Amino acid sequence: MMDRRTLVGVGAAVTTAVSSFFGGRKAEAKAKDMPYPKGTMQPRGHMERLERFANLDIESRQDFLMSYRAFINTDLSRMANMRADAILKAKGIPRDKELSQEEAISLLQDDPVIAMSTRGWLSAQQLMWNGLKDEFEGNADRYLSEMEAADKMGPGKLELKPDLKLPDYVKHEIHIQPGGYVGNEFAGHMYHYGTNAFYTGRNFNDELHVGSANNMPIPKDGKVLRILDVGCGIGQLSMALKERFPKAEVWGIDVGGPMIRYAHLRSVERGLDVNFSQRLGEDTQFPDNYFDIVTSYIMFHEVSPEGTAAHVKEAMRIVRPGGIYYPLDFKLTGVPRRTAYGQYRGWMDHRWNNEVWTQKFRTNGLPDMIRKAGFELNEKEPELLRGFGILNATKPMNA
Amino acid sequence: MADDKKTGERTKAASDYIKADTDNAVFLGNAHIDNLMTIVIAIGSEIWADRQRSRIMEHLLSTKGKVTTEMIEQFVPTDAQKTAWAAERDAMTKRVYSVLARDTSQGKPFGEERKFN
Repeated sequence: MMDRRTLVGVGAAVTTAVSSFFGGRKAEAKAKDMPYPKGTMQPRGHMERLERFANLDIESRQDFLMSYRAFINTDLSRMANMRADAILKAKGIPRDKELSQEEAISLLQDDPVIAMSTRGWLSAQQLMWNGLKDEFEGNADRYLSEMEAADKMGPGKLELKPDLKLPDYVKHEIHIQPGGYVGNEFAGHMYHYGTNAFYTGRNFNDELHVGSANNMPIPKDGKVLRILDVGCGIGQLSMALKERFPKAEVWGIDVGGPMIRYAHLRSVERGLDVNFSQRLGEDTQFPDNYFDIVTSYIMFHEVSPEGTAAHVKEAMRIVRPGGIYYPLDFKLTGVPRRTAYGQYRGWMDHRWNNEVWTQKFRTNGLPDMIRKAGFELNEKEPELLRGFGILNATKPMNA
Repeated sequence: MADDKKTGERTKAASDYIKADTDNAVFLGNAHIDNLMTIVIAIGSEIWADRQRSRIMEHLLSTKGKVTTEMIEQFVPTDAQKTAWAAERDAMTKRVYSVLARDTSQGKPFGEERKFN
């Protein structure tokens, strides 16, 4: 893997000689002469595929916050669940009684253990994002220059569309990421490090995306020439699909310009020929029947019901007959009914973690939308990611 | 800098967004108690940052006999060190914060006398 700082050095020195980007020695020497973010002497290497933070302090602080998140999700959640059960018992409410979200909130929100657990989770989330924001915005010149150097490099191309009109539903600060996916120049950087904390450090090598790509079903005729990853974010699944199907033309599209810019930076570093373009999933601009596989990675729970319907309709248009449509997301069928505490936490995630659309995603009938659009839907196999939903759709040959 | 450009002159890709109002969340009855919880977690992260730095310094001094800021920043722990330090971190988290998981449902007010048979 090429070092990101090497990109900058070469980009500044030899902008026309693309091949020398991969040669590197002069560039590395130049890069070593450049000042690095405060507290850093030179690049600190990688944690597997993830570039290490620019200095030890932020790395350590983020490391601690990940540990605190794990503590809340285990020990504190266990106690909060016990408290919820005790409260129901004291009120004479059977544990298995189906409560509305409003009832659950009213019963549980004033319990000290539950409230403290929720507060702590949210505080850790805020501290994580704010720490990342401070790091990247505080050293904006450095990180922007790295992206600028990569913007025009290949092998894949980058299409930023600053005039693209974005629907309001994509503008939210989902999971309270500062600026969301569209409003901060370092949305891609923050998302990468932030979501790695969500995965509690078990995704340094994009393991979940590689696993999903490797489990992706292919059309019955075995032809996979073109693949689209809708709402590709920082391109982790797009790149994993390129690795599995090296001869295919792979595209990743996303509404977030900063997201795909970072995706492109990573694909340049890794020498992967993936095209990233800022486009809407409901208006992809691709020709009819263009793709053999269209997919998305945990995107739909962040899309409005209207946007969801439009995405599915567009997928039906661009998948070729016999092609596959597999939007990977949370489970919608066979999900156990939520306990009172689950209802309470669901609200916390929706209202305060700003997962604006997740609750609607659970009830908007995505499987039916896929069927009604004309796809044949298999909800049994294959499971791309353990514990997640199975929506393996095929466009009929006669469609 | 990699070149002479200033931040304001660089290519940008961000657009307008809708801000969340999570900063206004009050779950503990008083905004400053909520703030204190955030502070308590933030202090934990600062302590762990110093602890990590100390561990690396100890290691460098015992193995190399000297230490510089660059050596600390560039230090890459072995897999064994990563495992050991992660265990130490998680133990510290539990040691410091597990009181939050205490069952407070039997909490007694300051002035309540304890009754014995």
